Amino acid sequence: MRNVFVIGVGMTVFGKHERSLRSLGYEACLNALKDAGVKPADIEAGYCGNCLAPALQGETGVGQHVFWEAGIKGIPIINVENACASGSTAVREAWMAISGGFYDMAIVVGVEKTVMPKGTPLNVGTGELEAKLGEVFPGYFAFVAQKHMEKYGTTREQLAKVSVKNHENGALNPYAQFNKPLTVEQVLNSAMIAEPLTLLSCCPNSDGAAAIILASAEKAKKVGKKSVRLAGSALTSGTYENQKDFTGWEMEQRAAKQAYEMASIDPKDINVVEVHDAFTICEIVHYEGLGLCSAGEGGRFIDEGHSWLGGKVPVCPSGGLLAKGHPVGASGVAQIVELAWQLRGEAGKRQVPKARVAVAQIMGGAKGSDTRACTVHVMIKD
Amino acid sequence: MSDSSKEEVRITPTYTPIGINGVSWVMVEANLFEYPVPKGKKPALFGSLCTKCDRVFFPQRELCPDCFEEGGMVMKRLDSKGVIYASTLVQIPSPAGIKPPYAYGYVDIPVDKIRIHALFDGTDLATLAPGTEVELVIGPFAVNKQGQNIIGYKYRPVQSRRV
Repeated sequence: MRNVFVIGVGMTVFGKHERSLRSLGYEACLNALKDAGVKPADIEAGYCGNCLAPALQGETGVGQHVFWEAGIKGIPIINVENACASGSTAVREAWMAISGGFYDMAIVVGVEKTVMPKGTPLNVGTGELEAKLGEVFPGYFAFVAQKHMEKYGTTREQLAKVSVKNHENGALNPYAQFNKPLTVEQVLNSAMIAEPLTLLSCCPNSDGAAAIILASAEKAKKVGKKSVRLAGSALTSGTYENQKDFTGWEMEQRAAKQAYEMASIDPKDINVVEVHDAFTICEIVHYEGLGLCSAGEGGRFIDEGHSWLGGKVPVCPSGGLLAKGHPVGASGVAQIVELAWQLRGEAGKRQVPKARVAVAQIMGGAKGSDTRACTVHVMIKD
Repeated sequence: MSDSSKEEVRITPTYTPIGINGVSWVMVEANLFEYPVPKGKKPALFGSLCTKCDRVFFPQRELCPDCFEEGGMVMKRLDSKGVIYASTLVQIPSPAGIKPPYAYGYVDIPVDKIRIHALFDGTDLATLAPGTEVELVIGPFAVNKQGQNIIGYKYRPVQSRRV
């Protein structure tokens, strides 16, 4: 296995865009190419994360469409769908190909358009029995929240603080969909979606794109003045245990363990983290799943300020999915973009001082009472 | 289910065979249960039992993922009694066309040692708290774009049987 480096990153502002998927994807690719200082002809393979274009835009082959706009043609192009982990799975596929010696430079783009009329839940397909029988994402995560509250005494206020923190961070991020801070009361008093999750406990539907350029050590040395190492990458799927405990995800703990071992790090080495905070409860469970605190301590972890900017390990400095937005296929790539900026010291007002080790976690899709895909990536500034 | 969906039960024909105007109802998915429920029979969901490890699955599947033995699965009628494991009230329309508010969650079936995703009858979460004993009901729960009733299953608290 060879070392792999992130040599360039770029993204669009997340939010509502009256532009096509290819226009958004193009902007992100162009920004990443410029950031790396490379040309389309230098790219040997392209990976595109997208989840819902076939369902929402009636479009397939998004990768070919987007990369062609950026002048990337002729090379292998791979379209990746893995629910909310589509973008991060595309990152991993590119990472594996470079690590395995197949290519020396590859581009990854994540792009999505999901903005719909207000109050419309994301339609991720109604082909599965659970979906036909009323399953919605806020409902599933409502159960996780209820069970976490019941088992560990996690409170509604602690859940709300995740949204407050991430909106505070989003206000410092020019790429975020929401730029206004919130109060705990506003989160708790917003419309109930699925008991106990309120509207402001849920991430929005968003449009946007993000892109990164990955390269081998040799190539990175030649072109990458600001490269950071993608030191660990893990992807797991669920085990779909029928009577599983709802308060944690074994597949996340497994992915974290694999990625940390690969990168030779310990949870206490981590300086900054981006997680899949699609709902407030998710972030609390991810503190535990990633080993930032022990099981059941997630509520206290945010109460004590550890995950806030200025805390011992800031989580979602970008604003996370809750405030930065969640263009599904783009989110996993955008996490890597944010963490590259953090490790390079270019994160502006939301900069985590002296960040050296960063972790990105995202998971997606529901299957049974489990999820389908979870990725954990470790990035290191050597 | 809301009270309005109960109204629909009354005004809908129980069964219309495929004809010029199509059918009046459609099962949410094939092979989940019998409908209309035969006279004298209790409504039941159809699961699969692995004859090697005794594990029960719902919906039915071909192969036990643990035993991996072809032909080792047999159909099993699941017990109609369950206990609520989790419940929530959804205030947004479901993409599948169920109108809010509606309650759903998970039901544990102690006899079969299986947890089932299910809609609940009623919208008062106080009557649907975890631990509540429930029983299976098979019937319409939504209407599709063609105006057909969608026949599915849901659970209702046992004590509300005679209400």
